[in-house]
Amino acid sequence: MSQFFADLVVRTDEARRAFETHPVVLDAVAKGLSVERYRTLLLELYHVVWHFNPVSAAAASRVPDSEVAVRYFLYAHMHEESGHEEWVRNDLEAIGVSRAAIEAHDASPFTRALVGYNYWAADRRDPCSALGMLYTLEVIASVYGGPFAAAIKEALLLEGERGVSFISSHAELDMEHMADLRKVLNTVRGEAARSAIVESVLVNFHHFTRIIETV
Amino acid sequence: MSIATGLSGVPQLLSRPYKYLRLEWVGELSMLRVRTCVKPIQCYSLAGLTEMQRVLDDIAENPGLVRHLVLSSDVTGVFNFGGDLALFVLLVRAQDVDSLKMYGRRCIDLVWWLEHAAERGVHTTALVQGDTLGGGLESVLPFHKVIFERSAQAGFPEVLFNLFPGMGAWPLTIRKAGFAVANDMVLSGRLYTAEQLLRRSLVDLVVDDGAGEMAIFDVVRAVDPRLRGTLAALHAQRMAAPITYESLLTTVELWAETALSLTTRDLRLMERLARAQVRKVGGDEEGAVEEIKRIELDTAWGEMRSGNTGFGEERGTGLTAWGALND
Repeated sequence: MSQFFADLVVRTDEARRAFETHPVVLDAVAKGLSVERYRTLLLELYHVVWHFNPVSAAAASRVPDSEVAVRYFLYAHMHEESGHEEWVRNDLEAIGVSRAAIEAHDASPFTRALVGYNYWAADRRDPCSALGMLYTLEVIASVYGGPFAAAIKEALLLEGERGVSFISSHAELDMEHMADLRKVLNTVRGEAARSAIVESVLVNFHHFTRIIETV
Repeated sequence: MSIATGLSGVPQLLSRPYKYLRLEWVGELSMLRVRTCVKPIQCYSLAGLTEMQRVLDDIAENPGLVRHLVLSSDVTGVFNFGGDLALFVLLVRAQDVDSLKMYGRRCIDLVWWLEHAAERGVHTTALVQGDTLGGGLESVLPFHKVIFERSAQAGFPEVLFNLFPGMGAWPLTIRKAGFAVANDMVLSGRLYTAEQLLRRSLVDLVVDDGAGEMAIFDVVRAVDPRLRGTLAALHAQRMAAPITYESLLTTVELWAETALSLTTRDLRLMERLARAQVRKVGGDEEGAVEEIKRIELDTAWGEMRSGNTGFGEERGTGLTAWGALND
């Protein structure tokens, strides 16, 4: 049987490049964002990060024993990601967004679509689809997070990691996560699970691109 | 576009729905023009490689149909930035050596086809009208005729981020320009002007900016009346200095293994280049070429500060090398 990670990279490469080459993403990576747009992006990201572990938990609860490595991977990953929404809150506060404003923010329709799809896929499509969500978010963080954080720091004259700690630290953290994710993806044997993961990557890249587009 | 009648393979060749290539058929010369448009970042993406291989397979499946294959870019100011840097970063971080090797194999399959184009009865020409880095330069070296417009610059910057060009750069450069030139180009990471590449025999013709299109027709019209003899001679030329698929494959495997050991600093430099490519796409004057110069200067200043200049000219990534730009 082929190595699924390699297959996944090939089957979703155009979606990754569609994200990477979207004019708004290109502009953000090259020149950063205004403080208003960066605030909006982090507010949307806060919702994505907040729901990350609940989606993973929903998926883990339904992973069959035939894919037990995926369940254990999700447990470990949830542990590592626990509390990361606080990092986003801290960054938002560093750029002038109060806790009350964060609580009051209504996520955009695209963020709701992203989060809603991930719950639905974990519940109705296939629980392994959560790995597609992880793959997309870790690719975005580890491949594009570093340059984007650098561009934001330059554009907003931020010092150190202040205001970009979530994006910067995930750019570093997810370097290790990517290797672990490859290993667990290569354990997935079921064709239905593999198809669901591919679909999840395509949908997550699509919705994430729309989220950034509207920031 | 003129489509020759009575040639059943032509409609099939031209009708495929390519996303990253634009094909044009010049019937009077049996010339297939392939313009790459991997927009907005012109590089060898997986999908772009797949489409290019499809075109070459179609040509091979219709022997005698295409006499001239011409490659150029549809993206202003850029011929090709080479490998898909973001994909490399992804695969290196995932420590996925199999996918890196798969990517490399796809690249050398194109090189291998072009290497044997004369045997297939096809004369090949590449027109370079802008920046051409790493794999972008490697990809034009197997062409029979390489035309550069005067402002085009090219080089193998991979060594700047601790990698090397692994898809044919060494044997193709050695064959055209000799070992010393290959050594200098690959190990220095320098960029070269069109004139410098002409003097090193890597480029066959340099024309003024804007004159490239006319030069293509001049070259093809000059070759066409004596095509059979020219192709036989080019076939013999490659037999005289053969490159084996096995050696290309072994080099790709070494390249992939080396890529796996790239450090965070190396990947950051790769990301700097990727970001610079993006800036150029966004309309900035300065792009990857200017960023490479900055990285070279940073390296040179770092070496001067640390006293680590002991490799002399061979180290050559900094001020010394740039002082030699008029070579």
